[in-house]
Amino acid sequence: MILLLVGVFGALGCVVRFLMEFAVRLRHPTQRPIGTVAANVIGTGIAGWATYKLTGTSDAHIHQVIVSGFCGGLTTASSAFAIPVILARTHHWKYSMVLLITTPVVGSICFVVGMSLAH
Amino acid sequence: MNTRRAVTPKMFLTSISVVALGGFFGTIIRDVLMKLQPAANQSTWVSHIPWVLAAINLSGIYLATRLLVGPLRDNHFDNPMRLLLITGLLGGYTSYSAIFVTLSGIWHLSVPAAFLTFSCLFVLSLFSGWLGLKGAKQ
Repeated sequence: MILLLVGVFGALGCVVRFLMEFAVRLRHPTQRPIGTVAANVIGTGIAGWATYKLTGTSDAHIHQVIVSGFCGGLTTASSAFAIPVILARTHHWKYSMVLLITTPVVGSICFVVGMSLAH
Repeated sequence: MNTRRAVTPKMFLTSISVVALGGFFGTIIRDVLMKLQPAANQSTWVSHIPWVLAAINLSGIYLATRLLVGPLRDNHFDNPMRLLLITGLLGGYTSYSAIFVTLSGIWHLSVPAAFLTFSCLFVLSLFSGWLGLKGAKQ
């Protein structure tokens, strides 16, 4: 039952990420994954909050559903690294480097902010 | 490159359904595999190293790069197969936030170890993407 809930919330996270990317591309036609970067950063922030807010609570399953399910679905490592590698291949070195550096830096800041909000 | 295209409500709903389907199975596969991670010993940071998550993410990055450069190369962002495999399945299968959740556990035991772990994961992820590029070319 919990595994099913994790899957449902993971699917929800994936849909939210898709909608973010869709909304960006609707207004600014681009091949650049701005929506995915935003989803990774926001998802990491939510994971930071949930990791500390929900740790030690009586229901560990809520933690699993939010962190592994929703945040896991909202964020993606495959596109976070595959897109910059492909951009570098087509000689978009500068943009590739910006993506590779800003996502973990801003993501870690958001994670710490999420943790701080949970305390 | 201009990627603006007309999207009908039917196309939009199909896209969401396909992403949700892929995301559902991708997340479940990851969650089941994560149970293979040995329980962490609170006193040593080495036991907190996310071997299983690393394997999941590295294989996901390899597959995504290979697919995006190979069979899905010319497909548009809202192509159903790309949405199912890249945005949904591999998006749910891999997790960026889980890296930080794991690193926070290592950070409490050793800050340099957290940086070292992240650096290794970062370099291996790039290497995995590079392997995907090479694999697609062959």
